[in-house]
Amino acid sequence: MAIAKEFNWLHVDSEDENPHLLSTLSSCLTLSDVQCDNYVRLLAVDISLDDYEAEPSAKLKVFRGLRLKQEYPLPGIPTAIESLYIDESEPKTPVIAVAIAESVLFYRHLKPYFKYTIPVLEADDLEAELWRKLPVMKRETHDDLLLLLKDVDHAKLSRKTQRLLQLSGEEREAFIETHKDSPVGRIGNIVTMCCLKRVSSDANPPSHLVLTTDTGHIYVLEPQGFNLVYEAKICSYETAVPSLISVHGTYETEFCIVVGTRNGGVYLLRKSSSEGQEILKLTTPLTGLLLLPVDQTIVVTTMEPNLSCYSKRGKQLYQVQLEAHPVCIIPLPLTHLGITLVAVALQGGAVKFYLQRYLVDEFEVPETVAAMLYGRMGMEDHVLTLITQSGQMIVKILRRVTCFDPINEIGASKTTLSSHQVVDASILDKPKKSSIFVEQAAREKVHAKASYSSFQVELWRLRHTAARATIDAINSSESTISGDLTHAPVKLSAEVCGAGPAFRLYLTVQNLSTFKMASNLLVLLHADRRHYTLQQSLARLPSVLPGIPLRVDFEVVAVLDAVDKLPPASLTPDNAQIRVMLLKIGQSKPLIAAVVAMPQSEAAF
Amino acid sequence: MGMLHNLADLIKVKKDKMTILVLGLNNSGKSTIVNHFKKSSEQVAIMVPTVGFLVEQFYTNNVSINAIDMSGATRYRNLWEHQFKNCQGIMYVIDSSDRMRFVVVKDELELVLQHPDVSNRTVPILFYGNKSDLEDSLSNVKIAAALGLEKIKEKPWHICSSNAISGEGLDEGVQWLVQQIRFAVLSNRYGAKITKHHK
Repeated sequence: MAIAKEFNWLHVDSEDENPHLLSTLSSCLTLSDVQCDNYVRLLAVDISLDDYEAEPSAKLKVFRGLRLKQEYPLPGIPTAIESLYIDESEPKTPVIAVAIAESVLFYRHLKPYFKYTIPVLEADDLEAELWRKLPVMKRETHDDLLLLLKDVDHAKLSRKTQRLLQLSGEEREAFIETHKDSPVGRIGNIVTMCCLKRVSSDANPPSHLVLTTDTGHIYVLEPQGFNLVYEAKICSYETAVPSLISVHGTYETEFCIVVGTRNGGVYLLRKSSSEGQEILKLTTPLTGLLLLPVDQTIVVTTMEPNLSCYSKRGKQLYQVQLEAHPVCIIPLPLTHLGITLVAVALQGGAVKFYLQRYLVDEFEVPETVAAMLYGRMGMEDHVLTLITQSGQMIVKILRRVTCFDPINEIGASKTTLSSHQVVDASILDKPKKSSIFVEQAAREKVHAKASYSSFQVELWRLRHTAARATIDAINSSESTISGDLTHAPVKLSAEVCGAGPAFRLYLTVQNLSTFKMASNLLVLLHADRRHYTLQQSLARLPSVLPGIPLRVDFEVVAVLDAVDKLPPASLTPDNAQIRVMLLKIGQSKPLIAAVVAMPQSEAAF
Repeated sequence: MGMLHNLADLIKVKKDKMTILVLGLNNSGKSTIVNHFKKSSEQVAIMVPTVGFLVEQFYTNNVSINAIDMSGATRYRNLWEHQFKNCQGIMYVIDSSDRMRFVVVKDELELVLQHPDVSNRTVPILFYGNKSDLEDSLSNVKIAAALGLEKIKEKPWHICSSNAISGEGLDEGVQWLVQQIRFAVLSNRYGAKITKHHK
């Protein structure tokens, strides 16, 4: 195991004496070719929460390799950042989207470019009514009016009302005065954001942004004209607050969005639906959610702690017990190997790589990994960046010569073994041995000699029958390939075209030899004249050269009764056939004698 | 020049011909270095990433050199080993400003040195610490330390910093490589003679 972990990942030493500390999340990391020089830089949001004196603030930091090159202050704490291409124009310039509260800030060449704010939701009727009344009513009645809002869920009130409820009596007056004309509506906060490719094309296709809000809505934003092109509710009957998102597909054709909510539900949304479909509900909180592109399965890590995989219909496919709580999870698409691994960072510093249910690689870092990012960084395609909880950045590069075979050494890991048991018990429900099988086994044990010899007798009989049939076939030439070894082997195939009563019988004669010519061949057709009329029953064939099939056709007319237009009564499916013989001139025995079964004829009108 | 070459050809009955292999990661400047050695009439102005490999010929230090310019892209690196057999020297180009990938450079170098077609022969290796003009670039000594070059005991090696665009430092390196290949050829001949004597 030590060998495996040494051999798949190369550790990049940070050359600085005092490394740069970064406190961030997986969603706040992205890779982007911001300077359009083909050198992919790491972009990370550094959120400083430790400084209790000052307000929490965030900075966007740009790293070239491991070195901090630029940093920009952000106007708030972002929930996610993404790098995307918005159009096909050359040179392709990535745009950085930063989701802060209810808006998405777009940066181009690291300069502010656009700010998009998600639409305002209609306020509750009661609340709108209240704001209509408040400015005109007397101050004494305000408390009673506000009491009406008791029944309304606090989260469903607009920010203005929420603030008003927090204020004391004196402050309310002034607050109402200043805010009476501002619109009453609630705005959700963006909780997750990810990219959705518009069309599947080559590298760096233009993308749309998928945004989810804490009001339980999901939007697809088209970043050229900044229009919403898709809107849906995650859950039809309640406010499901999303926390995790994974997207697969392309916007133009079909896409599939999987959303994990704070209370353990997993919902699936498709292009055609405007409401999420609940696929599973877990009792333990989710820590990670992935929709794997290859087999379209959903991988979920929970606080249980385990890693489970579900189909899109919510059926559990497998479950792996983890040693510690999973902190973050990312997919590792290894296109050159044609596999997608799932990297799971566990509490304590272990990072494990799963190929489906099998543990294929693992390594340890000194402390718990808080965020991970995988992709092309710098000039290297397969770079895994890990940010630990204390903010250290660890960079690992996948070796060119890697193999991800399941770690199946003896005693390699007890968890994999136990997980196998869990899986096998949950999926494969093998039936018990039937009584017939048990009886037969017992009988065979008692009469071992007799059953063996009877089996042998039957086997020999079978072989004898087979040999006999073969000899018969050779003697009567009743096969499609000539068995005469002195001549070139010839293959005959037949095809009947037409619905009747006139048929056309196509014969294809093929010389299977590589050098011998098959010459002096004749085809003779023979049919019961009461059933079929043959215009021509004999044809001399030209020499058949190796490899070039020869096609001849004959007209066959089924005989029908002149009165009732029906075939004669003596014609049955068993004797509705034409014998085809392939003869060699000067030889009495046919090379091939085949029988062509004729289809039932249609009545002629 | 052409006439001088012809004259040199006449005088030197047997012209030296050497095959060297140009290795290194993608974007390290292999093709640019090879391009620099070519005659000015054959040089190309725009460099594009090499696909697979290219065989280029140039004349320097009185030898005609056949340079196999391998692609450094990850998916083509498995082609390197097929050329180990028929090369007399290796030119290993390193982007001295790309510190992040020194581990990859080192790993690939180890794979080259461990290959039976290289490990069992005396193949001189010339390292170019390319892109020495960039601000982030490391010095020769630092690169040698980062790659653990001091561990290479059986093979003659040399490192020099270069700038493939201006051509700085390139000639010095090639001069060394040609000299080493000559030594290797001579010692091989000498060795062969000795074995004959023994027989």
